[in-house]
Amino acid sequence: MSTSKTALLDGKSLSDGRFTAWPRGVQANGNALIGVVAAVLILVWVGTNGYKQTLLISAGAYALIALGMYVPFVLAGSLSLAYGAYASIGGYSVALISEKTALPLWFGWIIGPIIAGVAAVLLGTATRRLSGFYLVAVTLLFSEAFQTYLSNASYAGGAAGLTSFRPLDVFGWEPSFDVLIGATAVLVVVVALLLNRLRLSAWGVVVRGMREAPAAIEASGARVPMLSLVALAIGAGVGALGGALFTQMNGSIQPTTFTLNLVFLAIYMPLIGGTGTSWGAALGALIVVELTLNLPSLHTSGTLLVALGVLVIMLVAPRGVLGYLDLGRKEVTRLFRRTGSRQ
Amino acid sequence: MDATTAEPELLIEGHGLEKRYGGVVALTDVTIRLVAGEILGLVGPNGAGKTTLVDCISGIQTANAGTLTLRGVKLTGPASRRAKAGLARTFQYPQLALDLTVGENLLMGRAAKRHDTWWRMIWEAFRGCFLPGPRGDGEAVVAIANELQLRGLDRLAGDLALGEQRLVEVGRALGEDPLVLLLDEPFAGSDPSGIAGIIEVIRTIQRRGHGIILVDHNVDLVSSLVDRIMLLDKGRVVFDGDPQECLTSPEMQQVYFGGQVDLGGSGSK
Repeated sequence: MSTSKTALLDGKSLSDGRFTAWPRGVQANGNALIGVVAAVLILVWVGTNGYKQTLLISAGAYALIALGMYVPFVLAGSLSLAYGAYASIGGYSVALISEKTALPLWFGWIIGPIIAGVAAVLLGTATRRLSGFYLVAVTLLFSEAFQTYLSNASYAGGAAGLTSFRPLDVFGWEPSFDVLIGATAVLVVVVALLLNRLRLSAWGVVVRGMREAPAAIEASGARVPMLSLVALAIGAGVGALGGALFTQMNGSIQPTTFTLNLVFLAIYMPLIGGTGTSWGAALGALIVVELTLNLPSLHTSGTLLVALGVLVIMLVAPRGVLGYLDLGRKEVTRLFRRTGSRQ
Repeated sequence: MDATTAEPELLIEGHGLEKRYGGVVALTDVTIRLVAGEILGLVGPNGAGKTTLVDCISGIQTANAGTLTLRGVKLTGPASRRAKAGLARTFQYPQLALDLTVGENLLMGRAAKRHDTWWRMIWEAFRGCFLPGPRGDGEAVVAIANELQLRGLDRLAGDLALGEQRLVEVGRALGEDPLVLLLDEPFAGSDPSGIAGIIEVIRTIQRRGHGIILVDHNVDLVSSLVDRIMLLDKGRVVFDGDPQECLTSPEMQQVYFGGQVDLGGSGSK
């Protein structure tokens, strides 16, 4: 077979230059720059204001959970509602490492996402014959059951949960709270950046192809059921990272910290921000947190209003905020090109 | 070995293939052979079992009975394993990711094979966070696109006409670098120039030494293109041999113009 492969690669058609490059990755770089600039601006705005720092922590944790959901839901097309459980796994890993062991706290940050990923694979294997509504229902039940389990788990503090952690120390260095706030923004930007690169990579192409043409992907040599599980596991791991962040920064966790309400909000976030890139999930989280904490009406009947808002967005603006910004950018570029050619 | 008597390599060999859906027999006692560089045409009226046979070979469906080998190695298990063994296929209704670009759809065939075990999937995902993919992916996609004369790799597959979508499917299958290519109705929905283009592509693939199994309704078109023809009727192989002989064979008359088969509904559109 190697002979035919070279025939494919060294064909004359390649050198006659009809296609010189395939525009991949360009989009990722552009978005990354905007993401970094936005994160810096947000950090400057937050400063050392305690209230705004709380806002940023919530937005960061939500963003990670939304980014986690983005991988299986938006890319691979399978909706799991077990993210409350995954975030709890992340949070409790940090909490339990702090309370029950002498291990450094960052160890919980690593072990949590791994456990969540394994849990996602096990849950996905058990439900592998389910799809659509049934998958949603089973993952939802799992999340609820896990919450009930945590309320009764004496080693995890029961319904009162765990509080009073040791401070995070990284090889002897104990970063201050302000540094951790900065690290939160960096973490979200890095995860969004990596996931966006992942979306555009060969892996991302195969996973996105799997959503619409699973038979073709399977017939091309990828194990589709296994690949769905890997997507679910990566999503669960990122979601657990969000749980770890929230728990670490707030210094406490209860079984009810990550509710179903939060999971539904996390589904909406990419839709609000735009499903085109992973940055949409981060932006959506920021918008949702800002609105729910700052508008009194949203604070009380938040989810209902956000749900209505998402409904409106999906009906009139299905591309989300970033989708329309991108459209606007393209229009402006076209305008500039046109004026340029006239000279 | 003496070059003059050297036989082309035997690629696909199947015996006694059978497929039932409950009580309905879709294929029964099908024997199939394909050698390297050969184009085998599968023809027959609607419901004859052409697509079922292609599905059973590629692993989209599993035959109830019979043996199937590729280069002497048994073909079993899911479609992904058979793809790794060297089978690639297109579908009667193009299975493209319509919200992905043409380039991404072409890449799928090449990249999918690298996602066959846990570790390779995790490794691909890890690498994907930092790099688009291994070196050579982009060049291979561009080479295939040029070969198929597909322009505009950044167009969305959903914006293409049906004929072009079929061409992209062929490109995706070529990206797998297969031994055997199964083409399920590649001409349906194409205009005459599109058909000519696909014929040219098929000839090129043949010259490279791939085996091709071609399914189509259009007996005239198929018989002008293939080396050998297999006529299926109600799940049985009723003729297997020279295309020109097939056109004038009594089996052909029976299948397409015989008493039991309705004249209006069968055959090409």
